[in-house]
Amino acid sequence: MDIDISLDMSVEEIVERYPEAVSFLSRRGVRCIRCGEPLWCTLGELLHDDGIEDPQGLIQELAEYMRKRRDQAQDSK
Amino acid sequence: MKGILKKLNIKEVNAGACSGQGAWYEDPEGQELISHDPSTGEPIAKVIQATDKTYEKVIEQAVLAFKTWRMAPAPKRGQVVRDLGQALRESKEPLGELVTLEMGKIRAEGLGEVQEMIDICDFAVGLSRQLYGLTMHSERPAHRMFEQWHPQGAIGVISAFNFPVAVWSWNAAIAAACGDTTVWKPSSDTPLTAIAVQHICNTVMADHGLQGIFNLAIGRGAVVGERMINDERLPLISFTGSTQMGRRVSEAVARRFGRTILELGGNNAIIVAGDADLEMAVRTILFGAVGTAGQRCTSTRRIIMHRSIAQELTGRIIKAYEQVKIGNPMEEGTLMGPLVTKAAVEDMMAALEIAKNQGGEVIYGGRRLEDLGQQFVEPTIVKMPSQTEIVHNETFAPILYLLEYEDIEEAIRLHNEVPQGLSSAIFTTNLLTAEKFLSHEGSDCGIANVNIGTSGAEIGGAFGGEKETGGGRESGSDAWKGYMRRQTNTINWSKELPLAQGIKFGD
Repeated sequence: MDIDISLDMSVEEIVERYPEAVSFLSRRGVRCIRCGEPLWCTLGELLHDDGIEDPQGLIQELAEYMRKRRDQAQDSK
Repeated sequence: MKGILKKLNIKEVNAGACSGQGAWYEDPEGQELISHDPSTGEPIAKVIQATDKTYEKVIEQAVLAFKTWRMAPAPKRGQVVRDLGQALRESKEPLGELVTLEMGKIRAEGLGEVQEMIDICDFAVGLSRQLYGLTMHSERPAHRMFEQWHPQGAIGVISAFNFPVAVWSWNAAIAAACGDTTVWKPSSDTPLTAIAVQHICNTVMADHGLQGIFNLAIGRGAVVGERMINDERLPLISFTGSTQMGRRVSEAVARRFGRTILELGGNNAIIVAGDADLEMAVRTILFGAVGTAGQRCTSTRRIIMHRSIAQELTGRIIKAYEQVKIGNPMEEGTLMGPLVTKAAVEDMMAALEIAKNQGGEVIYGGRRLEDLGQQFVEPTIVKMPSQTEIVHNETFAPILYLLEYEDIEEAIRLHNEVPQGLSSAIFTTNLLTAEKFLSHEGSDCGIANVNIGTSGAEIGGAFGGEKETGGGRESGSDAWKGYMRRQTNTINWSKELPLAQGIKFGD
């Protein structure tokens, strides 16, 4: 499955489709879920609020990270 | 599973918007939401989420119903709430089991949650005859001054996954007794329990020839949630969730001069004094930190223990953790089920990594339990060298941070240092220490307990917290006042027109 993440996607959708994104973003100081629930904003808004200077660069890194994790999961099957 | 769903009228595909019996609204453009069993990852059933069109129908009904509902005498409204409580008694077992099935808390907790709904209905029935206003002595002769409490309108209730039905009932039962109607947006992780409750409400409303008192609109926060918080037809929004979302809700509602009841994040600690009964403390810590897999607003997240007992208490807590049976939450004997979503597991793992980077030592647990399922984890204990940044944050998972203190002043300072202020507790056998903790130089939380833990509140008390927890109060005591509007009245029963403060004007 292809990884398709953009800044205008809602955080709710990202958390549902790509739960692995949560730990990657959390380590970068961006928390998608609080009290167990996803925030209602878009990813772009969240990155802006958390002071991420290069949001486009971060989501490229995120997509790369997720591809790796999915490949690893595939290999271990 | 099928038996539970059948008893509660849950179908394979369910409409996600409703105003009463025969008034389920489904828009073909509505997006499908699949509810999963967190234990197995298997789908349970689907919901067609509310769209702008169906949301509009729900709100119109709620606003319309308010016009007649507010005119029913409060004790008559109480009779409807009494019948709701009775209907919940009859559905306690399947509804409690659906809570377990859909969000993963153990069966005993699922049933306990429905009992809480029943309890708040009982409370609201009594309340319906006690919506008292004060009478004040007027400074003007032959005048009478008093205050009345009037219903407010259609009220928005936005609840979270962790108490998928109880939190709704804290709001809806009280609001109904107060003469308000409610529109409920449940968590997208637990839509089916909301549909089950709506079916129960529909039967009760129909028995009384009513519609639109209890309403439902299931949908994403970015869609239905945003509509609700910006909707001027909802004078009050009761929101349960995170501090970050609470800030967004609060700002949006305040912009239109609406009111909010906010029940936001907690970061609850237990102080264990050197003279504490450790046996009691350990049992309490276990329930507080591991119960509901650490996913309660009131879960115990920090232990602040006196240096003199730290080693012994740590050893005893670890022993207690070793006894925790993790697994299928429906099974007798299981003490901890799965986390609610895969994302919650990711969030927990990231928090542990950060805690380790900040000097924390994982002394128990810390791993995923993938043999049991993708959303099972070990309850985890982390010994921290100090109260670092990660400890100031609430992670909604079974992570317990251990901290030590030298004197009670240091303990209280550590306790109050975090931005949240929901629930707190101290274990001590010293009266002076206990009183200090409860005093205004002690705990800064909305809930402060002695020799009982941070979680497991009763419905009779007002529930809520201070600081970033939001300041709202729900449930018992005088929390009902939040659901009504206060009106001050003065009646002049003389033939004079005296002004207040002795002012003479045009005499």
